[in-house]
Amino acid sequence: MPEPSIAESSYAPCITACPVHTDTRELAELVTQGEYEKALELLLEANPFSSVCGRICHHPCEENCRRAKVDAPVGLMKLKRFIIEATRDYRISLMEKMLSLPNRKEKVAVIGSGPSGLTAAYDLAKMGFQVVVFERSKTPGGLLGNAIPRYRLPYAVVKEDIDNILSIGVELITEKTIGRDYTIDDLIKQGFRSVLLATGLSESSTLNIPGIDSKGIFLALPFLKTVLSSRPPVMGKRVVVIGGGNVAIDVARSARRLGAEKVNMVCLESRDEMPAWKWEVEEAREEAISIMNSWGPKAVFSENDEVKGLELKKCISVFGPNGRFNPQFDDSDTATVLADNVIIAIGQRGDLTCVRGSNVKINPGDRLECDPKTLSTSTKGVFTCGELLTGPASSVEAVRDGHRAAKAIAHYLETGDLLIQPLMELPALEELPDETAEKIKKLTPITIELLPAETRLKEFTEIERGFTEKEALEEARRCLACTTGALADEEKCAACLTCVRICPFDVATVEKTAVMPEEKCQACGLCAAECPAAAIALKRFGTNQMKEQLQGLLASIKDKMVIRPLIISYCCLFEVTSRKFISEKSESYKKSGIYRIMIPCIARLSVPDILSPFELGADGLTIIACSEGSCLYPTAEERLLGRIRQAKSVLEEVGVEGERIDYWKTEGSAEVSWTSFWEISRRKLHQIKRIGNKKP
Amino acid sequence: MIVAERKPLNEIKSFVENYKKILIVGCGTCTTVCLAGGETEVKVVASGLRIGFLKEDKEIEILEDCATRQCEPEFVTEIVERVKKEGVEAVLSLGCGVGVNFMADKLETIPVFPGVNTEFFGAAVEPGVWVEMCAGCGNCILHLTGGICPIARCSKSILNGPCGGSKDGKCEISPDVDCGWNLIVERMKKMGTLQRLEEILPPRDWSTSHHGGPRRVIREEIVSLSQEGGESTKAKEAAKEKESGR
Repeated sequence: MPEPSIAESSYAPCITACPVHTDTRELAELVTQGEYEKALELLLEANPFSSVCGRICHHPCEENCRRAKVDAPVGLMKLKRFIIEATRDYRISLMEKMLSLPNRKEKVAVIGSGPSGLTAAYDLAKMGFQVVVFERSKTPGGLLGNAIPRYRLPYAVVKEDIDNILSIGVELITEKTIGRDYTIDDLIKQGFRSVLLATGLSESSTLNIPGIDSKGIFLALPFLKTVLSSRPPVMGKRVVVIGGGNVAIDVARSARRLGAEKVNMVCLESRDEMPAWKWEVEEAREEAISIMNSWGPKAVFSENDEVKGLELKKCISVFGPNGRFNPQFDDSDTATVLADNVIIAIGQRGDLTCVRGSNVKINPGDRLECDPKTLSTSTKGVFTCGELLTGPASSVEAVRDGHRAAKAIAHYLETGDLLIQPLMELPALEELPDETAEKIKKLTPITIELLPAETRLKEFTEIERGFTEKEALEEARRCLACTTGALADEEKCAACLTCVRICPFDVATVEKTAVMPEEKCQACGLCAAECPAAAIALKRFGTNQMKEQLQGLLASIKDKMVIRPLIISYCCLFEVTSRKFISEKSESYKKSGIYRIMIPCIARLSVPDILSPFELGADGLTIIACSEGSCLYPTAEERLLGRIRQAKSVLEEVGVEGERIDYWKTEGSAEVSWTSFWEISRRKLHQIKRIGNKKP
Repeated sequence: MIVAERKPLNEIKSFVENYKKILIVGCGTCTTVCLAGGETEVKVVASGLRIGFLKEDKEIEILEDCATRQCEPEFVTEIVERVKKEGVEAVLSLGCGVGVNFMADKLETIPVFPGVNTEFFGAAVEPGVWVEMCAGCGNCILHLTGGICPIARCSKSILNGPCGGSKDGKCEISPDVDCGWNLIVERMKKMGTLQRLEEILPPRDWSTSHHGGPRRVIREEIVSLSQEGGESTKAKEAAKEKESGR
């Protein structure tokens, strides 16, 4: 699994909660800067199934987002989907670059092409190993390719991830079953130095109740696979689904789409205990699926061997005192439910065909013998990962295990030893204190309405659209940028209390020197802009960044090409609706003498930031803030106005006109109003002489 | 704390405009806290001067630095070394007058200019407002005057006030200035110690103040320690001097 890029004392909870530790916070920031390609690189580094996870991840990042305490979590999963959709061509070019990876002669066989197996294959191929993936179905992807209904996950999305993985040199052989067509020993004889068993939990469990052999009864996974085929099963009017997990929900919702008018889900668990994600349950209810909680199947009743219904018994408790599955029933409390079809979705188990004919040990209970820390089976060089190792898990957890397996195998091939890899937990930033949460400006989350239920039920097309660029930028700006706040340099801090007095969130305190507790700091940067000792830095926004950017910008100007008046414009990044504003149009603005620097909140400008354009040769400075009432940080604007006044007086003291500095607030659309402000500044500056003659 | 205020840039500019390479040195203690001469102010002054020189097409190199305190030899030595090593022609100090003096003592031929006006010893009565509260006169009588200093806070520094110029708690020199003696009386009234003011304070010996010439404070235990370390001959001389009653 990729290590986080920076070692920190604590991490944003969106990062720690993600099984692959995707740097979601950085992703959100890169989106606000229009750096979608960099965001994609970060995403793929953590997760080669990013297209899939942008659609169906159980998004623990959002569940743990600290913004929830202010209003609602940031829509991080949809931001990932946006990044993927905005960078398709770039992703292909990225993969092409990877083809020139170092080649190593060792061959590795991966059995199973689900998310864990293919992630391992991808990582191993990136390290230069020769990887061949064997898949028994025609379609790769494991349950992603062969079970998850398309209204949730279009196959094109799965294919996008798989094609990328294969494009870096992973070989895929489909319709070959290890244990039947070849044995593991055959693979080793063929020169594979290591074998990874990643066949997942591919078999549906069944029930042992009277009448279960009647016609019209299906098992969940074969049912879902047929739903994906060109000849989906025909459903009767009334369908009963047994089970309360995510697969049961997929089955029930698919049955509705296949024409079943009345779908009842029957599950042992109460509503709160149901293992299905709550949003899935909600969407199923919108599709008029009824859920009968706390009932267990007692018997199937049928006529002429055709299923007609199910007899149920009350389930009084599902779990024993130790938390283990141990359902208890009240046989005297029964009910019946009519059904033309019954679909059993009570869980999956592994299929260990792959070890047939090899000496890989299987424990009683049909479980593969393996060490969860080294991922090794009983046979040297044969490893396992994914659900076969962990039991039922989500896609992103499978990806995590794939990364671990690749590390384990690479270590084995390099040293001949097993690598001990306990699961890595990162320390999470503490909860947002109530008193801080109250001071943070509420921002309505961008919600995407699902298609109306009646439309959804007509077909299997995807029910939810992704963010538009405008929506993605707006949503990304909601990120609280956890752990990127102010840091005071003890050596420089004079304990002057300026930070304590101006902090709009009451974060800063002085104990000998200034302290800004990470769990409270909102990274607004006001303290850094005002600190007289220049002792405060923001972790993500370098205090010298402005001057460096300016120098970079102005260094590119050749003497003859200078257009006068030369105007530097600091613009609030939080106003843009498209990255066209951020990067693409910059060159055309330069042609009219406007050199623009985008800043996430211009309230961070210090007096030296405001003065430096002039010392570097600019004729004027146009500062454009966000529109009235939009600033995220209380008091930020008045503080900035104070600093602008200070800067103007410095100019006046050395005989330079203070009116060279303009301050505006965006009105209406940023693009239109910015251009008009620049025009006003330009007209004014035409009347004023240049400052000296020497600078470019 | 020593309170200072930055000089106008045109004045500062006139000090340094005839040199080719100058160093602006902030002070990380008092003048940082009173927002007159910390590292940020060094950047502001440097930037302002560069813009001013740009306007006049002058090419003057401006270096920036900030000492932790300009009144300690260890901190100042670093600056002195930098000045010598980098061929700095003039130094602009944003420390208080002490810093300017102390660096001038150490810098031999290199001129040191004041970038701030050193005002007084005072307190920040509210953010951005400092008021003088101590005159550093060398013979403290605050125990007699309710903790409020008549030397610093009475415009005439009289010892038995208030005078006839006190009106409605304000001093006759300006309606913005509190009468120091009125503050003393009101406070002692509240504390129930007003009767102590009936005792007339005798005329004061001002030799502890500037009337006795430049003053020094010596902590002998520290001085003797550094003597043992063989470091300070100046301190040795100073100790001798004190023994002989100056």
